[in-house]
Amino acid sequence: MQPRQQALPAPGGPRPAAPLPALLLLLLLALRGAAAAPAGSEAPGEASGWQLDPELPHGLLQKAARAALHFFHFRAGSPSALRALASVQRGRARINSKKECQVDLEFTTERYNPKEGEEHLGKCSAQVLFKNEKPGPTINVTCTRFMEKSQRQQEDYQLYKHMQQLKTPLEVSSIPDSHGHIDPSLIPIWDLAFLGSSYVMWEKTTQFLHYYMAQLSSVQQWKTDEDAIDFDYTVLLHEFSTQEIIPCRIHLVWHPSKPLKVKYHCQEPQPPEEASGTEEGSAVAPTGFSNY
Amino acid sequence: MKWILFFAALIGLSLCGRDKFFGDQVFRINVRNGDEVNKLQELVKSDNLKLNLWKSFSSLGHPVDVLVPAVSLQPVKFFLNSQGLDYSVTIEDLQIYQEMDSIAGDFPDLANRVKIGHSFEGRSMYVLKFSTGKGSRRPAMWLNAGIHSREWISPATAMWTARKIVSDYGKDPAVTSILEKTDIFLLPVANPDGYVYTHTKNRLWRKTRSVHPRSRCVGVDANRNWNASFAGKGASGNPCSEVYHGPHANSEVEVKSVVDFIQRHGNFKCFIDVHSYSQLLMYPYGYTGKEAPDADELDEVARRAAKALASPFGTQYHVGSISTTVYPASGSSVDWAYDNGIKYAFTFELRDTGHYGFLLPADQIIPTAEETWLGLKTIMEHVRDHLY
Repeated sequence: MQPRQQALPAPGGPRPAAPLPALLLLLLLALRGAAAAPAGSEAPGEASGWQLDPELPHGLLQKAARAALHFFHFRAGSPSALRALASVQRGRARINSKKECQVDLEFTTERYNPKEGEEHLGKCSAQVLFKNEKPGPTINVTCTRFMEKSQRQQEDYQLYKHMQQLKTPLEVSSIPDSHGHIDPSLIPIWDLAFLGSSYVMWEKTTQFLHYYMAQLSSVQQWKTDEDAIDFDYTVLLHEFSTQEIIPCRIHLVWHPSKPLKVKYHCQEPQPPEEASGTEEGSAVAPTGFSNY
Repeated sequence: MKWILFFAALIGLSLCGRDKFFGDQVFRINVRNGDEVNKLQELVKSDNLKLNLWKSFSSLGHPVDVLVPAVSLQPVKFFLNSQGLDYSVTIEDLQIYQEMDSIAGDFPDLANRVKIGHSFEGRSMYVLKFSTGKGSRRPAMWLNAGIHSREWISPATAMWTARKIVSDYGKDPAVTSILEKTDIFLLPVANPDGYVYTHTKNRLWRKTRSVHPRSRCVGVDANRNWNASFAGKGASGNPCSEVYHGPHANSEVEVKSVVDFIQRHGNFKCFIDVHSYSQLLMYPYGYTGKEAPDADELDEVARRAAKALASPFGTQYHVGSISTTVYPASGSSVDWAYDNGIKYAFTFELRDTGHYGFLLPADQIIPTAEETWLGLKTIMEHVRDHLY
């Protein structure tokens, strides 16, 4: 039974009655054995209000917001449109008969790498469907604009021009470095790396696994010509629930006025004991990158 | 033997205001023949240099580890080079230990650097003890930092906090009254081997550096190794996992050192473990979703602490039990402390919320430490007023 995609009700307005067959149990999503709040059910006609249910695990809404942003970034394909989660305003979750978890939420965002003195606060609303351990949640997300489309395009073109002027080959080892420092001239590279990583992180996210980009660890190739930036690099993703560091080789092609192209291959976390593994437990750069 | 005297003289020069070297280092020397063995033995025996054999002579072809104090570094290097001995410096010094010593030195009536044990690779484990009273069993609080080595903001905050405590005693009524009634023990680097490893080899290393006979993978998650539902949910039995709990509870000497110290002391009332990142302030339990008996009180204290923490810069923290706020985690330090009678058990996850993550920029260290201090003080004041 598919969960019914409902339009988000106006704030404070009563929830319209939902037909019984489409009704879903209001359940706290179990996070790998975490405590479950008592299950409740919504009777038809009952106005259940649109509020931040204190029984929802703090983590779930945050995960959904981040997943929505990863997807938003990939779809926008623009380093000037990158955002960071500020805070979740409200949200609710429910599980359907297929054990899929639907999360509706509203959250605020800031610009990802704001320039000096810049302070943009935006709002997004999203519906995120986690597909019972299948990665790559289905996402519907809209965000208020930070700036006019023309201005964003202009910023993208400026970034593009800046990138074309960078001296190649890029002598970049780690961004940020061990102390969190990034040379200001290299921030656009970090932004672009994050843009590509967003696609990867969205595709890998489940209700149990969520990711952050820990570091851009190396650049294999940086090619610029009139048509595009051709960027081949390795990032270290941090998966939160397992605490694993996952190296991913990403190849993206970006031009300000064209859709983003991303291909990737991630080195999956540790094999079981019996298989021959590497000595290190984490953060080994992938060798022998296979065709993708 | 002449060269021994020569190098002893060089030590004299070292002591007379040459470049200052920070900390001791361990030299790994490859002895390739009997002659080299002899030379090395003489060097080690020399009183003036104060060298310490870590891994001793077994046979040719096996390297020898020698601990060289800071003052002897130059002459020893000179000697090894001039004698053509093959060596490498294996262990980077821990500047934090230097700083701890300096704090204890500057405030001898208040602070003491105490050795509580050693790490797997043989590094000392030092705590700073802050005490105004006599007697060894005054009610006490434990601040634990750096158990996960990649979380650098944790030891950094701990060291700032140490300086803050000694500077504010006698000036800030809160600190003064806290120390009148309780002692504070601060362990800035609970996982020194991992910490060094993040500086020398792998910035994102999390675990200890213990070696297991039956696995190619190194290290145990020191915060899954405590005896609180050990090997339960939220930990892994796979040695290659980042949350590997280890072969048995307290298998990690770093963990055991703390456990033994706290149990021998017997009068701890508060245990605070400092991590990053996520901006959370949590209390037991991690190993179960069931509410801890004191959950209401702990929650109330945590909320007040989070509010205090937010006051300078607006940094928002979420508050709750470990298992419902982050994830189930068995064998954690905080759960162990709580189940062993230390009621005020909290864990902080410091800045940020993922933008820089573990690689928090250095310019955020002081603001993080300043805001965290307000949260810590809130907790410590409550403990002071609710001693049991």
